[in-house]
Amino acid sequence: MSGSPEIEELPATQTGPKGVIHDWRKFKLESEDHESVPSNKRELLRQMSNPKSSKDDTQEKVLHKMSVQEYEMIQEEDERCLRKYRRQCMQEMHEHLSFGPKFDVVFELDSGEAFLDVIEKEHRLTLVVVHIYDDGIRGCDALNNCLTCLAAEYSTVKFCRIRASATGAGERFSDDVLPALLVYKAGELLGNFMSITKHLNEEFFALDVENFLNEYGLLPEKELAAGPEEDENADVE
Amino acid sequence: MSELEQLRQEAEQLRNQIRDARKACNDSSLSQITAGLDSVGRIQMRTRRTLRGHLAKIYAMQWATDSRLLVSASQDGKLIIWDSYSTNKIHAIPLRSSWVMTCAYAPSGSYAACGGLDNICSIYSLKTREGNVRVTRELSGHTGYLSCCRFLDDSQIVTSSGDTTCALWDIETGQQTTTFTGHTGDVMSLSLSPDSRTFVSGACDASSKLWDIRDGMCRQSFTGHVSDINAVIFFPNGNAFTTGSDDATCRLFDLRADQELMMYSHDNINCGITSVAFSKSGRLLLAGYDDFNCNVWDTLKGERAGVLAGHDNRVSCLGISSDGMALATGSWDSFLRIWN
Repeated sequence: MSGSPEIEELPATQTGPKGVIHDWRKFKLESEDHESVPSNKRELLRQMSNPKSSKDDTQEKVLHKMSVQEYEMIQEEDERCLRKYRRQCMQEMHEHLSFGPKFDVVFELDSGEAFLDVIEKEHRLTLVVVHIYDDGIRGCDALNNCLTCLAAEYSTVKFCRIRASATGAGERFSDDVLPALLVYKAGELLGNFMSITKHLNEEFFALDVENFLNEYGLLPEKELAAGPEEDENADVE
Repeated sequence: MSELEQLRQEAEQLRNQIRDARKACNDSSLSQITAGLDSVGRIQMRTRRTLRGHLAKIYAMQWATDSRLLVSASQDGKLIIWDSYSTNKIHAIPLRSSWVMTCAYAPSGSYAACGGLDNICSIYSLKTREGNVRVTRELSGHTGYLSCCRFLDDSQIVTSSGDTTCALWDIETGQQTTTFTGHTGDVMSLSLSPDSRTFVSGACDASSKLWDIRDGMCRQSFTGHVSDINAVIFFPNGNAFTTGSDDATCRLFDLRADQELMMYSHDNINCGITSVAFSKSGRLLLAGYDDFNCNVWDTLKGERAGVLAGHDNRVSCLGISSDGMALATGSWDSFLRIWN
């Protein structure tokens, strides 16, 4: 768990046309045989990939994202190499995002300070789900049971719960807004669901809560989806 | 005084005149004027559909004008036409190159286009008599990558390129009708005005330009960003547009005021924006970032109204349907999601 090296920040330029250029450079450097990309060209690709490496940082480079020599390197690529590269890209992203501390139980928070701590001090990649509940309020027990199940299934998510009275802001959490679910990451509130039971059936289970959170894009994928291996049947001439 | 010196002085005078004119009409700020406006509250959108079928990162997508079909382009070298209601794939089109940067859907629904590192804008006919999809044109002429393309109609398309130019093409003849030159850096994105008479472009020279489609002239130039502009989108009423940049800000530029009205940024946000879209009313601005995050901004008040897809930063591209009913996002994990 702890002691593993920190994975560095994602390189810049992942999305948009520059993301495509970045992906192409990475493919040329990592996935193709060394014969198809001679060493001087590899050096060029490396330099273009690293915006800070160039010593004579001319205006030219800032204004133009692809060098003339790189345009000349664009050619037909081996489909097998491409397929391997695509899977590798997704796998790397998945690993990058599932890196971080692991948990398997729901943590009981006993004070407002504990609440603030969990929101502000967790690892920046860790999703924190806080259930605000109180005794005697309908749905709280059931929700607590659901979260216990989910805590075991989503090891990168830190599920917590706190009694409304323990938060020190009891007035804010009157009976009619409980149970409430708050979702945080890197100190930011991502999801805020008051009276969450209103969104669920009278009788609900862990799967219902899981689906609800998934609809808002709040839960990570449990594992990388294994896509179909062969190409889709295309209908193009 | 030499002629060059005279021209320099004249250019300097014009620059000052423009600056003064802009200052003169800058009597207030948008945030001051909207201070009394109610905030939009927290925006939390739900996934309504998941479109599965691509095998790699989604690079680009665009809705069809019927707000039901959409086209997506992926690193897997395919263009897929989807029915977002049923999640069915209508067409799966293999591309010659995996490095596709943009795709577009013709307003009529009869054609799709795409392009990327091949420097070519390929046009596909979706409604052939035989029922399959055919490449009908390969528009070549750009000497740099094709960053964006948008159909005017079935016979005309506008493209932007890494060769610093934009072009209007006659699809039938395959020729450039008009070339739009003026940017000094790679042009990354373009957006057609609602009346199709003009379009705005954003480039790596940190400027955005408004072009007259008919005569090819640059009507207005906007500065303000301090780094590459990666995305531009017209405001629904055509009087303004928003840009997204590597400087981690989005900015709203007004055509009549000829200047920037608002900046959308936050100290916590340090990475560039590569896709932008407006809700139908324009009140909400969706911005997709380089770290696959997506923020929802209150256009008028300049505040953040929400974060889309809170966990697992996934958004690689996005677009809002013309009826304003749905947001589509493409992801690095090969899926597209429909939200509202």
